Amino acid sequence: MTTVKNPAARPTRRRRERAALPLLLGPSVLLIAVFVIAPAAYGVYLGLTNTQLTGFAARDPQFVGLENFRNLLGSADFLESLGRTGEFVLWSAIIGQTVLGMLAALLLRQKWLRGKGLFGALMLLPMVVPEVVASLTWASVLSSESDGTFNRLLGLFGSGAAAPLQEYPMASVILINVWRGIAFAMIMFQAALEDVPDELIEASRMDGASALQVFRHITLPLIRGPVFLYLLLTTITTVGVFGLVYFLTQGGPGQDTEITSIYIFQSAFKYSQIGLGSAASVILLILLTILGMTYARLAKVEV
Amino acid sequence: MRRNRVLAAVAAGLLLTGALTACSATGEGGPVTVKLLQFQEARADVVKDLIPEFEKAMAKKGRPVKVDLVTDILTDDQFRTKITQQFYSGTAPDVVDMGGSNVTGMAGAGYLLKLDTYLRTWDGWDEYYPSVKKGARQRDGSYYSVPHEASVQSLFYRKDVLQRLGIDTAQPRTWNELIARLKKVRAKTGEAPLVIPAGTAWGGGSWTEGLLPIVAGTGSTLYDEKSGKWKLRSKGLSATFDLYADLVEADLLPVRDLHNPNPWEPTKYEKFPQGTLPVAAQGSWGWKYDWGPEGAAPIKNSREKIGTWDYPALVPGTEPAPISGGGFGYSVNADAAHPDAAVELAKWLSSGKALARQLTAVGAVSPRAGLADTAPYSNEPSLLQAEGKLKSSIQPPLGDGEDRVSQAVQSATAKILAGEADGSQAADAFAEEAEQLLGSTRVAE
Repeated sequence: MTTVKNPAARPTRRRRERAALPLLLGPSVLLIAVFVIAPAAYGVYLGLTNTQLTGFAARDPQFVGLENFRNLLGSADFLESLGRTGEFVLWSAIIGQTVLGMLAALLLRQKWLRGKGLFGALMLLPMVVPEVVASLTWASVLSSESDGTFNRLLGLFGSGAAAPLQEYPMASVILINVWRGIAFAMIMFQAALEDVPDELIEASRMDGASALQVFRHITLPLIRGPVFLYLLLTTITTVGVFGLVYFLTQGGPGQDTEITSIYIFQSAFKYSQIGLGSAASVILLILLTILGMTYARLAKVEV
Repeated sequence: MRRNRVLAAVAAGLLLTGALTACSATGEGGPVTVKLLQFQEARADVVKDLIPEFEKAMAKKGRPVKVDLVTDILTDDQFRTKITQQFYSGTAPDVVDMGGSNVTGMAGAGYLLKLDTYLRTWDGWDEYYPSVKKGARQRDGSYYSVPHEASVQSLFYRKDVLQRLGIDTAQPRTWNELIARLKKVRAKTGEAPLVIPAGTAWGGGSWTEGLLPIVAGTGSTLYDEKSGKWKLRSKGLSATFDLYADLVEADLLPVRDLHNPNPWEPTKYEKFPQGTLPVAAQGSWGWKYDWGPEGAAPIKNSREKIGTWDYPALVPGTEPAPISGGGFGYSVNADAAHPDAAVELAKWLSSGKALARQLTAVGAVSPRAGLADTAPYSNEPSLLQAEGKLKSSIQPPLGDGEDRVSQAVQSATAKILAGEADGSQAADAFAEEAEQLLGSTRVAE
């Protein structure tokens, strides 16, 4: 018995697939267009206007071209807020969360460690707590009042009351953000470490490599992709951190913790200058895009 | 035939349903509903008790109104941010009780109903003090709120504490004289003796209760009503920023407390009642709202323990003077469904016994004459005394763009507190930022 191939069958299938493509991609494209691209485009448009919510000028917003961008790039306050954002991201996300998250993941991989469940749960707890609750809890712990938890602890050692959120505001918010972000780093790195073959590590240990050497020359190169992916994600999310810092310090004292997200909120909502706030958001978006592309290139991962 | 009857019955049913729906939509026969927003607890509490009386009064007139009180307890800054979004998105309530400094920006944006016609035909309007009317009039010459309180900004001092320390409590003629006394207090107590709202944490208070009263006393023009432009550099402004810098340099201001996210708490609610910070720049509401028996931080026998000074003279050629501090007013949403009923509510709450009860609850001064004999306001000697000062007080200028100027003031004074700027640098930073925020067209050359 011989089968006769139908030459028209393949093109028909291809046509069907092509016809199905819009159906399959359509909903996601539509959602992205409506909820991501359209608001971003509207944000760019607003950044080119002097739209504000109060005052006589609010009645008739004008197109002002790049004036908002010029003002922002010439504003010491905005540039300083960008600098503080860089400092916040570098110390809390790139260094703090990554290093401590990696250490936690490596620890959890150790066979000799007992109580892994409890350890893992303790590390995960800060991520589970809602941002507002976490901030207000820390605000209470670090309160400058003598009945704040931290000051009570100091009191046990005979020390006077301290006000860390006012005396070391940036260091305080960095530490709290590290505390909150370790869990995510740990989960990412734990998953990545699962893919590192045990034999490779055992073989290198038998060759006399120290734990540090194994990590530096075997483990790290093998998980480079996930590490850079994590760095990309944590950079984006940390630049966007608002609630944590706002509820702790509201950007103060003075402008000591006024990171760009708070600068944007204050410009757009507290001071009702939507145009200026939108322009600041666009600048931040551009900076993040550049940073994201750099990470993607360094990691050689497809994002 | 039968089909026709069915059709007729359906049509009649539809018409009836339509008519009933229309009736319910317009509220014919029933009371109209007016939504009133209060964002401070003390105000909400007293108004809640007054609403049934208003509803009864309106029902008697044959114009029944139901008032739906929305209580949303917020700080001034939180309120301003939230109500702005509500107005912008068309979800604001019909009547909003808010400080006069908020009205300027909202009226400018067109969110508020112009009340000129209503006020012209209201006999109560004639009783308002000219300074209150002047403060409520907006740049376009119209009124967008019914002021229901006024205040006088002064320096409150702890008479008992200063006397115990052997410090003169007579009215200081100049700021230099006051600074000399404050230095003596500092030397004796080791603590900063004066609080003036400053920096970003105090929000709009750094402007309305901080810098504005001091600049107003210097006589320099800050806002030119004729041209509608702000004068961002003047002798008065420079002197005021220098004063802040001098106070910080001499450790007379509680810088650390001013950096607290709620700076009024350690200063006005803790140290002033304790007597460890004996002088505070404060509006007359302090008598009740802050330090009264039911205030945020009660001080027993406050009339005996607290005294007030007018703001001392800062620049040569000026005299100490009380400064009018404005107050809250009822504004009506421009999109209110029932504007007449909303304005009636605003006027009723700003008259007679209803007004007297609100003034007493929050410790405000009456914005209109003829209330001195109305209880419970008549039992408040501190407020009556402040009302007497209202007539001679200086009215600070208010103009379009005030919120931008406030922003620049907060950030310039924050620089002084942080030790990042001296007086003249802060004055420059203020002028530059305010000009950038206002746009050059709203700034006088």
